Amino acid sequence: MKRKVEIMAPAGGFDSLLAAIQGGANSVYFGVDQLNMRARATMNFTMDDLPEVVAICAKNGVRSYLTLNTIIYDHDLSVVKTLVNKAKEASISAIIASDQAVIAYARSVGVEVHISTQLNVSNIETVKFYSIFADTIVLARELSLTQVKKITDAIQHEQIKGPSGRLVEIEIFVHGALCMAVSGKCYLSLHSHNASANRGACVQNCRRTYTVIDNEEGHEMRIENEYIMSSKDLCTIDFLDEVIDAGVAVLKIEGRGKGPDYVKTVTRCYRAAADAISEDTYTIEKALLWKEEMENVFNRGFWSGYYLGQKLGEWTDTSGSKAKVKKVYIGRGNNYFKKIGVAEFLVETHTLKKGDKVLVTGPTTGAIEITVEELHTAHGPVEEAKKGEKCAFKFDLPVRKSDKLYKLVSEAE
Amino acid sequence: MITIIHQRDKCIGCNYCVELAPQRWIMSKKDGKAVLIGAKEKNKFWVVKVHDEEEESNRKAASACPVKIIAVK
Repeated sequence: MKRKVEIMAPAGGFDSLLAAIQGGANSVYFGVDQLNMRARATMNFTMDDLPEVVAICAKNGVRSYLTLNTIIYDHDLSVVKTLVNKAKEASISAIIASDQAVIAYARSVGVEVHISTQLNVSNIETVKFYSIFADTIVLARELSLTQVKKITDAIQHEQIKGPSGRLVEIEIFVHGALCMAVSGKCYLSLHSHNASANRGACVQNCRRTYTVIDNEEGHEMRIENEYIMSSKDLCTIDFLDEVIDAGVAVLKIEGRGKGPDYVKTVTRCYRAAADAISEDTYTIEKALLWKEEMENVFNRGFWSGYYLGQKLGEWTDTSGSKAKVKKVYIGRGNNYFKKIGVAEFLVETHTLKKGDKVLVTGPTTGAIEITVEELHTAHGPVEEAKKGEKCAFKFDLPVRKSDKLYKLVSEAE
Repeated sequence: MITIIHQRDKCIGCNYCVELAPQRWIMSKKDGKAVLIGAKEKNKFWVVKVHDEEEESNRKAASACPVKIIAVK
C-alpha cells in the first residue's frame, strides 16, 4: 500500500468545475477576473462567483484553490486585498500566488498560501525560503524526477515545515500544456503584442509556425516541422508510479482554458492511476489504456516533459489538438421529463442519429457521455433527428437550457 | 471630435493606456481595471467624445492594448 496523493484539476467555468468533481478530483484551482494566468480566457469566473465555487467544492469534499499568480502592479494592490479577503470569507482552502505582495498579504490575514510554478522553484534553499509563507510549493516544470526526489528527501531530512506546522508539500504538474520557456520567464508575447504572459495575456507565439531565413543571402531554410517551438503536451500517466515515488504529494492537471470533457477524462484517468498505485494494482498495460483514453480529448501529442531527463523539448506538428475524437455541436437542452428520465434537446445544427455517442455539458451537469440507444421526435421513434427538430432520449440526470449537446465522432470519420 | 470606446469588463489591467494617454485614462484602485475618463456606459461599452488633439495618444493606446478592447473613431 503506497501513499495517497491529491489530484488537482483545473476549473475554467462551472461546467469544468462539475466535470472535475465527477472525475474524482481532490481539489480544484480556478481564477477570478484578471489577476490570474488565464486572464485572456473568456470563461473566467468573476469575483461574485467566488462564494458559489467554494461552496460547491465544500459540498463535494473538494479543496478549492484561487489562483492569484500574475505579476502585481501598484494599482492592483487594493484589488489583491479585496480578492484575498473575499476568498477568506468564502473559506477558500488556499491561494496560489507568485508575487510577494500576494504571498505576504494572504499570510498576514491567515489564508493558506501555495507557491505557484510561476516562481519556478528549483532547489531546496528556495523551498526553505518560501516555507516561511507557504505549506505547498509547486516546483518548476523543468526539473527531472531525480531533482524532485532530492528536494522531497531534503524536506523530510531537514524537517522543513510550513506555517501550518506540517512538512511542506511538493506539488508538480503531471499533465497538460507546457511552456517552451521556463514558466514565468517567457516574454515573447509581451515583445510581439504588448500582451504579457505573466499577466495572463499570452498570445501563444510558440504555438505558431515559423520560417527561418538566412539574413545574409535571404535563403529560406527548409525545416521539417515549422512549429519550431510548440511543445507537445505533458503526460506522466505511464510513469506515475515514479512520480509518486519521488515524494510528490499533489498532482496538478493543466487546462483552465480547456473544456469539461477534457477535465473529466484526464482527472478520471489520473484518479484511477493514483488509486491503482496506492493499491499496488498499477500496471503499464493499464497506464497505456488510460493514455489512449486521454488521446480522445484535447492534446498536442504527448511526451514525458523534462521529468525523465530529456535534453530537448519535443515539438508538436499541429496548431491545435490531436484529439482522436472530435466534438460536433448539435444543439441545446430544451426540457427534462423527470418521471421517465428523458431529456429533450433542440437540434440546431447537423443531424443526430440513433446509436451516436454524445456528450452533454453544462454548468450544473458537468460533462456526461452516453450512447443514444433510442431517439424520439414529435413523429415518435426515429432513426435520426434533423436540424430544427426537437428530439428526446433517455438521460439519467436533469437537463437544463444551459446544457449543450455534442456528437462525438472519431477523427477518422 | 473623436469617439473613444472601451470594453471595460475585458480589461486585464496592464496599464499601457495610462502610460500612453495619461490625460484620458487612469487605473481604478477598486477593481484594477482602466477607467476611460469622462466616459458613459452603454451595454458594457464605455464611450466618450473628445477633442481631436487627443487622437494620436489614444490611437497609440488602442494599438498597444494587449486585449484589443479600445477603439478610436
